[in-house]
Amino acid sequence: MENQNINKIYDQAMDEISSSSTSEKLQELKIKFLAKKSVLMSLLSTLGTLPPEERKAMGQRLNEVKAEISKAIEEKENELRKAEMEKKLKSETIDISLPSKKVELGGQNPFYVVKDEITDIFLNMGFEVADGPEVETDLFNFELLNIPQDHPARDMQDTFYISDSLLLRTHTSPVQAHTMKEANGKPIRIICPGKTYRRDDDDATHSHQFAQIEGLVIDKNINIGHLKATLELFVKKMFGEKREIRLRPSYFPFTEPSVEVDITCASCGGKGCSMCKGTGYIEILGGGMVHPNVLKMNGYDPDVYSGFAFGIGIERVAILRYGIDDIRKFYQNDVRFLNQYRKKA
Amino acid sequence: MLVSVKELKKYVDLEGLTAEEIAEGLTFAGIEVEEVSSLASGTHLVIGQIIECENHPDSDHLHVLKVDLGKEIKQIVCGAPNARKGLKVIVAQVGAKLPGGEIKLSSIRGVESHGMCCSLLELGVDAKYLNEKQTSGIEELPSDAPVGESDVLGYLGLDDQILNLKILANRPDLLSLYNVAKEVGAIFSRKVNIPTYSEKENFKTELKVGSETKRCSQFSGREIRNLKVKESPKYMKEALRSMGVRSINNIVDIGNYVMLLTGQPLHMYDADKLEKAELIAKDDKTIDFVALDEQTYKVIPGDIVITTNDKAMCLGGVMGSLECAVDEKTKNIYIEAASFDGASVRHTSSRLGLVSESSSRFVKGTNHFQGEEVIDFASHLIKENCEADKFSNIVTFQSEEKKDQIVKCDVSRINGRLGTEFSKKEIIDVLSRLHFEVKDEEKGAFLVKVPTFRLDISGEADISEEVIRILGFSHVKSVLPTLDVRVGGLSLRQSRLRKIRESLLNKGLDECLTYSLLSKENSTKFNLLNEEEHYVLLNPLTDEREVFRTHILYSLLEVASYNVNRQNKDLALFETSNMMSKSSRSEHLCVVLVGNELNRDIMNKTPYDFYHMKGVVENVFTLLGIESSRYRFDRYESNKEELHPGKSAKVIFQNKVIGVMGELHPNAKKEFGLAKLPVIVLEMDLEPLLEAKVSLVKMSPISRYPLVNRDLALIVRKEIEVIDIIKCIKKNGLGLIKEAKVFDVYEGENISRDFKSVAISISLGKEGTLTDKEITDVMDKVKYELNKAFDAELRM
Repeated sequence: MENQNINKIYDQAMDEISSSSTSEKLQELKIKFLAKKSVLMSLLSTLGTLPPEERKAMGQRLNEVKAEISKAIEEKENELRKAEMEKKLKSETIDISLPSKKVELGGQNPFYVVKDEITDIFLNMGFEVADGPEVETDLFNFELLNIPQDHPARDMQDTFYISDSLLLRTHTSPVQAHTMKEANGKPIRIICPGKTYRRDDDDATHSHQFAQIEGLVIDKNINIGHLKATLELFVKKMFGEKREIRLRPSYFPFTEPSVEVDITCASCGGKGCSMCKGTGYIEILGGGMVHPNVLKMNGYDPDVYSGFAFGIGIERVAILRYGIDDIRKFYQNDVRFLNQYRKKA
Repeated sequence: MLVSVKELKKYVDLEGLTAEEIAEGLTFAGIEVEEVSSLASGTHLVIGQIIECENHPDSDHLHVLKVDLGKEIKQIVCGAPNARKGLKVIVAQVGAKLPGGEIKLSSIRGVESHGMCCSLLELGVDAKYLNEKQTSGIEELPSDAPVGESDVLGYLGLDDQILNLKILANRPDLLSLYNVAKEVGAIFSRKVNIPTYSEKENFKTELKVGSETKRCSQFSGREIRNLKVKESPKYMKEALRSMGVRSINNIVDIGNYVMLLTGQPLHMYDADKLEKAELIAKDDKTIDFVALDEQTYKVIPGDIVITTNDKAMCLGGVMGSLECAVDEKTKNIYIEAASFDGASVRHTSSRLGLVSESSSRFVKGTNHFQGEEVIDFASHLIKENCEADKFSNIVTFQSEEKKDQIVKCDVSRINGRLGTEFSKKEIIDVLSRLHFEVKDEEKGAFLVKVPTFRLDISGEADISEEVIRILGFSHVKSVLPTLDVRVGGLSLRQSRLRKIRESLLNKGLDECLTYSLLSKENSTKFNLLNEEEHYVLLNPLTDEREVFRTHILYSLLEVASYNVNRQNKDLALFETSNMMSKSSRSEHLCVVLVGNELNRDIMNKTPYDFYHMKGVVENVFTLLGIESSRYRFDRYESNKEELHPGKSAKVIFQNKVIGVMGELHPNAKKEFGLAKLPVIVLEMDLEPLLEAKVSLVKMSPISRYPLVNRDLALIVRKEIEVIDIIKCIKKNGLGLIKEAKVFDVYEGENISRDFKSVAISISLGKEGTLTDKEITDVMDKVKYELNKAFDAELRM
């Protein structure tokens, strides 16, 4: 009779467990079937009234049922918990298209992008970076660079003067003289990026302030071939492997021979187009072999040492590279302009 | 320098070379040809004669012409006022391509027109070479012009191309067509033919020439009599026009023509107008000089003047006087070919604003040894074209001795410099082509004699350049220099600066570049670090850019203003730049923050405030490894309305104020159009940081025992600075308080006015486990001391 009763309870418990849909309901069932005062447990307390031979079998049976009900409840609980978690997570779904919380890198005036990049190219070739004042003496800006007083070349560069002997440097070349004087006759391999000033009215292609990167190598047995190879390497790193360079004779008082360096036009690859005015080439920098007078004046014996020097216009490179149409844009710092450029790794 | 290909051809063999090829050859030899242009152009042109000229029935100014073109007669409608029967004209036939477009068969107010009668303007000739008659109507050809001739440009001498040479400062000799011809001859290995003329003397002159200044080293003169001033011959007019000079009369034109060909400026004096036969150069006069142009100029010592009886007759190399100017009535002249010091001519001509073809040749440098030769050449032309018949001897003053310039050269040194492998023969050949005399010596050595017109050659380096520019840089072998291996790279200060810039970029600040020159007024505004003694330009272009700045902030505020005006109101800008004053040179950092925190959480905007900037500064120190104990912030005081007095601070490092930061003063915001926006600024001298010594961080042991945290909230008077509270807590921590940090400051509801609530989190710890009693003791001690020091009301 009890056995029948137990089976009935078992079936009822299993039914109710499987049909329950909340963990609250399961808690109720736990109490209903497994609490001390439940029907099942009350049967357990009546075990003592049974004859010993039945007591054992009955006890075993009761424990089995209790264990199975517990297990069923536990399984059901897990099932429900899982479902509830899924439901909760689903309700927490976010709109992944909303803006991120990153810290955006700052925009960088392309002037600096180019300046740093050129600097790094030469640093990797073993150059050091030298530095010199923007307010210069006539001595360093002109005299020591083989441009004596009243030299016609002074007309090439209209100069801002502070006094008869002080001026705003018109090029970064005075750093050549500073470096030579400091190096005291030892070999030199430097570049010097810096601001320069000329008395030009500002317009789309002229600026009273602009910047150059000066390069200077002095050692024994340096020749134009070394200049050519160094600049070739620079041009390929800066403008791409396909760019070629071409040297044209020119004139600077502090180099002899002097050259203008052209690179093959990026937009037509050398065939000739409107950007290069049909020539296939674009002028990007000037250079040459350091003039023996300059070596001599700055403490080097031109019979023992020779060297090459070059000057690159930073804005000019940026203008060519990024197609910037007006040099004044560099100095306006419109954030919509700055934010088009960021430092690349 | 404008070079006519047609004129050039007279002196050098150009057979088979196009103007473009010549231009390319010159450019690659270092003489850049900026432009190749045609003097005039037009196809389907023919010379015609007007045989009938009727008024157009339907117009008050048009004519209907019948024009004889030789083979046929055409009807042409023409609006030129000078069209008339019998006139010979240039006709552009139907199909002609002119600079202005193509000529088509057309009907003009009902009358058919088979072409156009042209002015030279319509053929593309620059108006500056034409007179008023020529620009206001059609060209009137001479009566002997051949009707039916179709090579009209050839007939007019307009079948020419012009090379525009950019003459660099080292090659003034190329301001001479003869020398350009020599150059082209050398480049293309062509035969050069420079004619020499001379005019024998047939009387002795009384003219005395001389110089009392070293600014005039040579002066040659000649007297010429019985000349007649009239129009120049056609060939000379054409030659001048093709090289950019207007024809005036035969004598003026000869002066210009000779100058264009030889590079030597000439001057002519009317001999009958001089008080006596004397031309002496001086440079010590202070006078008012009435020049050819009838203007009066102030002459000062240093200006070269040519005097007769101590009276200035000419401003040497610049302009003659009105008093002795050659005019239509002139019969007898003195002709001058002199050498004047370039620097001095430059000072005079630029001071007086008198820049001419002559003055610029002296400024750049002329050949000091060709005076007599050039006078001879001019004399020849004067005889041929001005009917003169009396030519005196040439008198010359020369203070400078003619010295041959010899350069010692060596083949291997030249190749060593160039990175080439030229043979001695190749090198000598190039130099000979360039009119250098070469004397061969033993082995690689040789001697080079420099021609007098080449003022730019003085040493072997110059000779190397001559070789390479003619033979071409394509011969240079490209080889990377093999130099000692060594560590290049940035110096410590350079890499620190780079790090600072990169870290600011990584935080989302935009890097700007601004001008170094400011106006006087603006250079003193926002000079927060009080840099004194600005450099001021002597010759600024504008008042706006007159002073070399000693701070960046003003410029960066202008950038902020520019961007806010363009509706970009959230800005984080910075710039690093080198500042110079008479007393110092240093690298500055300037930061300007405007509006809301940029690029962060766009949906939860946070306005910038003082503390953002403080964070920027602290980050810079941290980046360089400078501990917070080495710098501090003090309140900034100023009587200027630049920064908010309550929201500004000085940055102090090594007991020096190195930076000033804070919110912009409301009045300053207004000035820049930034009113109502948060604007936080910083100007900092980075120099002490770039040079700062930083010690290595030695590891300190990390306790195995966890810290215990206790929060403390207290109410204190508003003006009490949190840093003092924290100092007090740390000081009284009985060695157990490891850290005390403020995590909330509150003013407002529930707190009485003039008070604020400060919440501080305190971390305690020791090597071992803290007991409750230890903690309570410390906290009681802290509370007691805070109460004593700040009258703090504790809320726990």
